[in-house]
Amino acid sequence: MSELFERRWVRQALALTALILLWELLSRAGVIDPFYAPPPSTVAVTLYQLFAGGEIWKHIAATFTAALLGLAGGLVIGAALGFAAAMIPPLADVLEPVMILLNAIPRVILAPLFIIWFGIDIGSKVALSLVLVAVLVFFSVYSGIREVDTRLVERVKTLGGGRGTLLREVYVPSVTAWVMGSLKVAASFAFTGAVVGEFVASSRGLGYLLSFAQSTYNAAQTLALILIIMGFVLVLFWLAGRVERRLLHWRYA
Amino acid sequence: MIAKPRSRALEPEREPLPGEPAALAAQPSVVRVRDLRMRYGDAEPVVEGVSLAVDEGQVVSLVGPSGSGKSTVLRAIAGLHQPDGGTVELGVAAAETGFLFQDDALLPWRTARQNVALGLKLHGRAPAEALAEADRWLARMGLAGLKGRYPRQLSGGQRKRVALAQVLALKPRLLLMDEPFASLDAIVRHHVTQDLLAWIERESIAVLLVTHDLEEAQALSDVVYLLSRGPRAHVRNRYPVAIPRPRDLIGARGHPSFAPLLAHIWNDLSAEVGPLGDTA
Repeated sequence: MSELFERRWVRQALALTALILLWELLSRAGVIDPFYAPPPSTVAVTLYQLFAGGEIWKHIAATFTAALLGLAGGLVIGAALGFAAAMIPPLADVLEPVMILLNAIPRVILAPLFIIWFGIDIGSKVALSLVLVAVLVFFSVYSGIREVDTRLVERVKTLGGGRGTLLREVYVPSVTAWVMGSLKVAASFAFTGAVVGEFVASSRGLGYLLSFAQSTYNAAQTLALILIIMGFVLVLFWLAGRVERRLLHWRYA
Repeated sequence: MIAKPRSRALEPEREPLPGEPAALAAQPSVVRVRDLRMRYGDAEPVVEGVSLAVDEGQVVSLVGPSGSGKSTVLRAIAGLHQPDGGTVELGVAAAETGFLFQDDALLPWRTARQNVALGLKLHGRAPAEALAEADRWLARMGLAGLKGRYPRQLSGGQRKRVALAQVLALKPRLLLMDEPFASLDAIVRHHVTQDLLAWIERESIAVLLVTHDLEEAQALSDVVYLLSRGPRAHVRNRYPVAIPRPRDLIGARGHPSFAPLLAHIWNDLSAEVGPLGDTA
C-alpha cells in the first residue's frame, strides 16, 4: 500500500477523488449552493444524458472539424510564412511587425470580425483557429531557422554540402524540432479558436452548447461541456505527443 | 553559402617564409598563407601579416595566447571566412580538405553511421556504398557496436571518434584541426590522439593543428608556429621539431630535444602573454 502511495499518479488520483467526494458532500449538505456548483453526480448524469440523446455528436463533429482544419491550415500557412521570412529578409521586414502585433494581442478579439467576414458557419471558426495557430507556428519556424546551430551548418559545409544539403540535413530537421515543441500548444490553440468562434455566434458546436447552457444558467450542463472539451483536448495532446515522439525519435531513443 | 573550391597547383619553388630556411621552401606546399589579415566587422583586425606553410605530409601546429586568432587563421584556410587581406593558397582540392572542429557537433537527428555516411554521399558515393564504408570506418574506430546510436547516446570520446571517422573517411590530403581534443579527459584524449597520429603518419596526411597545449603541439608536429598576442596577431616564431617518425605520444616526450624546445617555446609564449598570463 505504502509502495503504491509513493507513485505520483496514485497520489494525484487520490487527491482528485477526495476533492470530488468533498464537493459532492458539501453540495448535498447545502453548504455550497447546488445551483452554482451542482454535485459531481448531477454533472455525471447530465454528461450521460448529453451522449444518450446522440445530439452531442453533431456538435463535437462541428468543433473538431473547425479545430483540425484550423490546426492544419495554421501549420501550413505559419510554416510557409516563417520559412519565407527567414529566407527573404525584405519579406521579414514587412511580416515580422505584423506577426509581433498579432502575437501581442489576444487574437480571439478577431472573432467578431471573422464572423462579419465569413458568416456564422464553420468558416469563421476555422479562420480564428487558423490565425491562433499560424502566428505561433510562424515564430517557431522563423526563429528555428534563424537560430539554427551554426556549428552544424559549418560542419556540413566542410563536408562538402551545398544549399540543398544544408536545407535537408540541417534546417528542416532543426525546424521540425522547434515546431514539434509547440505542437501541443498549437493543438490547444486550435480548439480555443473553434470554441470561442462558436461561442460568439454559431448554430452548432460545443461552444454553441456552452453559450446556450450559460444563457440558461445551467451550471450542470456547463460543467459537463467543459469536461467534454477538456477530454478532447487531452486526446489531442496525446496524439500530438505521439507525433512528436515519432518525428523526433532521435531525441527519445 | 559554400566556400568556392580554391584548388590551385602550387609551384614547388616559393619564397621562404619569415624564419624559414630557404631549403624548406623548395618543397611543394599543401597550404600557403601569405600576409593574412582577418577582421570581424569593423573591429580591429584579429590577425595581420600571418604567413605560414604546410608542406606535403607535414604536421604543423599553431600555438599562441588565447585570442590571438589561431582559429581564425584555420577558418580562413577552410574557406569559412573570407580574408580581409593577404592570400590563402591550397595545393589540394577543397574536397580533399577535412576540418575537425573543437566541439563534436554531429547531426543530432542522424545515427553515428548516417553522420559518417553523409560526407561520403556528398563526395559522390551511392547511399548503400556510403553506409557500408561508414560501418567500416566506425569499426576501425572501435565503434562497430554503436553505429546505430544517436549522438546523444554516445559519450564525448565516442562522439569525437565518430567526428574523426566522418572526416577521415573522405581521405583528406589536408586535415585542419581546431583544438579537436580539448574537451576529452586525459586518457580518452591520449588514445584518440595516438590513433589519429598513427593514421596521419601512415597516410602521410598534411595537418594544420590549432592547440593551446605546447606539449601536444610538439609531440605531434614537424613545425610549430607561435602567434603573437592579438589583436593584429602575427607569426612570432617558427620552431622545427627534430623528433623522428613514426612517433608515439609518450616516446616523443622522452626525446632529448623535447624538453629544451618546450622551454624555448614556453619562454617565448610567456614573454608574449606577460607576467600575469593575462591575455584579455
